[in-house]
Amino acid sequence: MQERENILRIFQETKEAVSKEDSAKIKNLSDKTTNSASLTHDPDNIAAAVIVYSLSKIIERQDYKKLPGWDKFYKIYLESIDRIIDALKKSDDEGYREGVKIIRKEISKLSGKLKERIQEVFRDASINKASRIYEHGISMERTARLLGVTLYELASYAGEKESPKILETKAIDVKTRIKTAMEIFG
Amino acid sequence: MTQTTKPQEPNQKQKEVLTKKIDSHKAIIFDSGVLISFSMNGITHIIKNLKNVFKGKFLITSEVKKEVIDTPLKIRRFKLEALKVKELLNEGVIEMPSSLGIEDSEITNRTKEITGIANSIFEGGGKDIHLIDLGEASCLALGEILNEKGIKNVIAVDERTTRVLVESPENLRKFLEKKLHVKISLKKENLEFLKKFRIIRSPELIYVAYKKGIIKLEDSSALDALLYAVKYKGSSISESEIEEIKKIAEQK
Repeated sequence: MQERENILRIFQETKEAVSKEDSAKIKNLSDKTTNSASLTHDPDNIAAAVIVYSLSKIIERQDYKKLPGWDKFYKIYLESIDRIIDALKKSDDEGYREGVKIIRKEISKLSGKLKERIQEVFRDASINKASRIYEHGISMERTARLLGVTLYELASYAGEKESPKILETKAIDVKTRIKTAMEIFG
Repeated sequence: MTQTTKPQEPNQKQKEVLTKKIDSHKAIIFDSGVLISFSMNGITHIIKNLKNVFKGKFLITSEVKKEVIDTPLKIRRFKLEALKVKELLNEGVIEMPSSLGIEDSEITNRTKEITGIANSIFEGGGKDIHLIDLGEASCLALGEILNEKGIKNVIAVDERTTRVLVESPENLRKFLEKKLHVKISLKKENLEFLKKFRIIRSPELIYVAYKKGIIKLEDSSALDALLYAVKYKGSSISESEIEEIKKIAEQK
């Protein structure tokens, strides 16, 4: 695992923010994994980003708490984060991955609306994180593969978000590119 | 006795060969993003219309086919978009490189080479930065093969990284350095092969369609609507670039 210390700190701060139900702080923490994930493409970093971001969205949604199965799921989610923190402290990479696996397994065990909503949260989190990694300069296809999302999902999400970043990488002016296009069509 | 014969009409096979000669001197290679953008916006008919005025081939690689047709066909949410692109392929609007006698294995081998080179151009934090994947690299590979065969080509790519990698690696280096907060070095010896490629995007295809009068949307804001539509489905273009394209379209 790469950047273990960073991931440990993020999970520890996440746990603290959960107790205050501070979803903005948790979302912000999930962004802190983006740099290392973009640079290393390390699946452990990527998993951390998705889990933490999902948690921020889950906390935001008060209506989830009324759905059957919520209490048990949320308890296991938080216990898994404790397990993840313990594993990271011991440099136990397999223990960390086991903690991640438990969360995913619990989601698959859910039923009804809660299952749909939580799956949607995780899907959206993956797309959001993919979009952030794409913003960091990694290609769209590479990013989609890393996060397990489709290019269709990523293209429309990134299309809505990308504008301010484009100017920073502008390479060829509009006139030249139009000329290229018109020339090939003859 | 010498018999003089009237020149015969070419038979079907000869016609195909003749057509192939006319069709084979230039090509546009489509990356996934452009096809995704057109299909998600429900404007694949513009690609068909463009093909009608293009005396060449519209090509996709197997890797791109996998991304825009094969995989999304298995996902309910994107099945319709995949079917629209599949229709373009079935109708021969877009074709596989085998239509030019280029084997998949040749592209696969070249793709591996290009992936290796492209993904070792930039180094940061003591590691090569893996920037592009097989689909994008396969478009560059096909472009290179077509160049070697003397077939004029451009690559239609909507996503930013591959485009900037080809057009301005130094800009990309600076961008990566800023975003990743590490010193990024660039292997100049790996850049030479990038100079062979020319890239357009969905907005330029829309511009061509507009200028050729093949957009069947009778409204003064049609160009604006189409340019923003492709932008919002992933084409990497800024609002100021869109405004510039609209100005150029009005001028000429």
